[in-house]
Amino acid sequence: MPVHEVDSLQAEVEPAAEDPITPRGDLKDAACWIAFGVAVLVGSITMDRLEQQHINPYTVPGLLPGMLGIMMILLGGILALRSLRRGALRLAPSPSSTHDSERWRRIWVVTSLCLGYGIVLIGHGLPFWLASTLYVTASILIVQGMSRDPVVRQQTPRSWAKALIIGLISSVVTTLVFQEFFLVRLP
Amino acid sequence: MLEGLAQLGHAYIGFLNPLTLAYGLGGAFVGIVMGILPGLSATLAIALLTTLTIKLEANDAILVLICSYVGALYGGSRTAILLNIPGTAANAASCADGYALAQKGQAGRAIGIATSGAFVSTLFGVLCLATFTPVLAEVALSFGAFEFFWLALFGVTLSGSIVGQDPLKGWLMGMFGLFLAQVGQEGLYAHDRFTFGWDELAGGFALIPALVGAFGLAEVLTTLADPIERKIMDLKDSVLPRWREVAQYWRTVLRSGVIGVFTGLLPGVGEDAGAWMSYAAAKAVSKERDQFGKGSIDGLMAAETGDMSSIPGHIIPCLALGIPGSAPSAVLMAAMIIHGVQPGPMLMIQHPTFIYEVVAMTTLASFTILLFGLFGVRPLLHVLKVPRAILMPIVFVLCVIGAYATASRLFDVYTMLAIGIVAFFLRRRGYEMAPLVLGMVLGHLLDKSLRRGLVLSDGSLLPFFTRPICMVFAALTLFTILLYAPWFKSLVQKLTGALGRSFRSLLPRRN
Repeated sequence: MPVHEVDSLQAEVEPAAEDPITPRGDLKDAACWIAFGVAVLVGSITMDRLEQQHINPYTVPGLLPGMLGIMMILLGGILALRSLRRGALRLAPSPSSTHDSERWRRIWVVTSLCLGYGIVLIGHGLPFWLASTLYVTASILIVQGMSRDPVVRQQTPRSWAKALIIGLISSVVTTLVFQEFFLVRLP
Repeated sequence: MLEGLAQLGHAYIGFLNPLTLAYGLGGAFVGIVMGILPGLSATLAIALLTTLTIKLEANDAILVLICSYVGALYGGSRTAILLNIPGTAANAASCADGYALAQKGQAGRAIGIATSGAFVSTLFGVLCLATFTPVLAEVALSFGAFEFFWLALFGVTLSGSIVGQDPLKGWLMGMFGLFLAQVGQEGLYAHDRFTFGWDELAGGFALIPALVGAFGLAEVLTTLADPIERKIMDLKDSVLPRWREVAQYWRTVLRSGVIGVFTGLLPGVGEDAGAWMSYAAAKAVSKERDQFGKGSIDGLMAAETGDMSSIPGHIIPCLALGIPGSAPSAVLMAAMIIHGVQPGPMLMIQHPTFIYEVVAMTTLASFTILLFGLFGVRPLLHVLKVPRAILMPIVFVLCVIGAYATASRLFDVYTMLAIGIVAFFLRRRGYEMAPLVLGMVLGHLLDKSLRRGLVLSDGSLLPFFTRPICMVFAALTLFTILLYAPWFKSLVQKLTGALGRSFRSLLPRRN
């Protein structure tokens, strides 16, 4: 089956992405890829060639990373050219909608919660079950607080108690199952 | 031949004990639940279960993982049918006809068709797994550094081309994955690359934390970032497997089974390619092609059988060559290595019975999904009613455990967080994760093969292009890249169009 037919079917059936990929976005990506490729190439060229160990010069450690750096620069360049041909500099950036700003707010909040749990709460002396209870409870309350549904959004003593119970039960059960039953070490 | 059959029989008998069966059912249960939950993939299910089964015997652990792999893809179609969101990427092709049937009040029928199609096609794939793996492993014994270099490069290139809509972005992700694999001590002289004097980086980026980040955290962020929560369709009719439809559409089942296994053999292509190609092939020859996308049984059957038969297909190159066919099979391969089984050409020599044990495990997995299809569909669907604000934080706790537990290093949790956040933003910009995974898996092989090959040839590049198998892989890699060039693509389309027309003219017309 020709690949183009499968592609068109896929595009036909799959719902459109909520964030359209713009030529301007691709141009920014291309700049990042080229910069990253240059950094990898420079890192590979300046990498120790282990000459004092008299190794075969074809086996220097920087050989493949250097080639990968060159490939990233090349592919990034093609991406940049393609985005320019598609009007990356001509087309005006699309104005951001309320939906977009709401989504960005949710992204930053959820990312902060995950980072707070993964970096601050665990691995620094707090028992795993307690750290997880705090994270799950806080996440439930905060995410529900951002809901569009006014009933879900409403914070009552009952919703707080429910979130705390879910957080506590899920954390204790997870800890017991992994640590005591399957003998897995937890952070 | 007879020895192989005896080993296969021995493997089947070995799995017929209550504890092993319980492990299989448990793995399938977790897989189905993960598959049902939109976005939580087979890759994540296997990665998390690798952590959970780390203290089990190797065979029991791999059985749990294979059952969860099959279960996740099977479970994913339920979400595609009831929510119009594929539970896993492989179920996207089931959305169109499955959801259309659900809208007509035939959701149970659609689920029944998916169950029977999944069972039959997985068994067909198992048959191919048992037949082709030893043969391919035998051929792979003649592979040297030059062949493995091309095989790794071809895998990343093909994965970048086929997965997703934009090959350029796929290749960039493949290069990024290959680069990530270069970080840490390299294999020949134990020299630290790109570690910046940071001891934690000397071990490199472990695959499981990276995958948990790319498929777990990225999905948690994607799901919770969406302001709209979707509602599921009602399930009124019977969800029992529909064998009559399997018999009625046996051509579709067989065709899709073959396509699924074939796409499974291609490195890094993923289960969704099997589903889409089967769907496209069914649409091209079906009597009811005008019904495709509007609730066609033929379309649903093709999509479901295509993705399920590609699972054993993906395991074949994973076992025989050490080259995974998809992201889930890459994690499966990593789990095998953790449990002391090194997949690749030497597998038949080091662990001669293992391939047959995997065949038995996959057979058992197909029976577990049938069992859940018969008795467990309705109760398991309740998981879709849990609000995402409750479910996703719990999933993230599991992601943290999954990243940490393999090596008990906090650094792995930080790796998961970093890769997860980067993957989330890359996915929003149209970059697929499968080429990244394949790059991370094949990076070491590519590096070692290139440098060993250059030592063997004393710096000459000729053997990379003149050895027979190298020539084939080099031509295939070049062909895959050139398909991106519009002039070459239109040339290929003209040629395949002309061949297709002349082939169709030879076939008898179906009314």
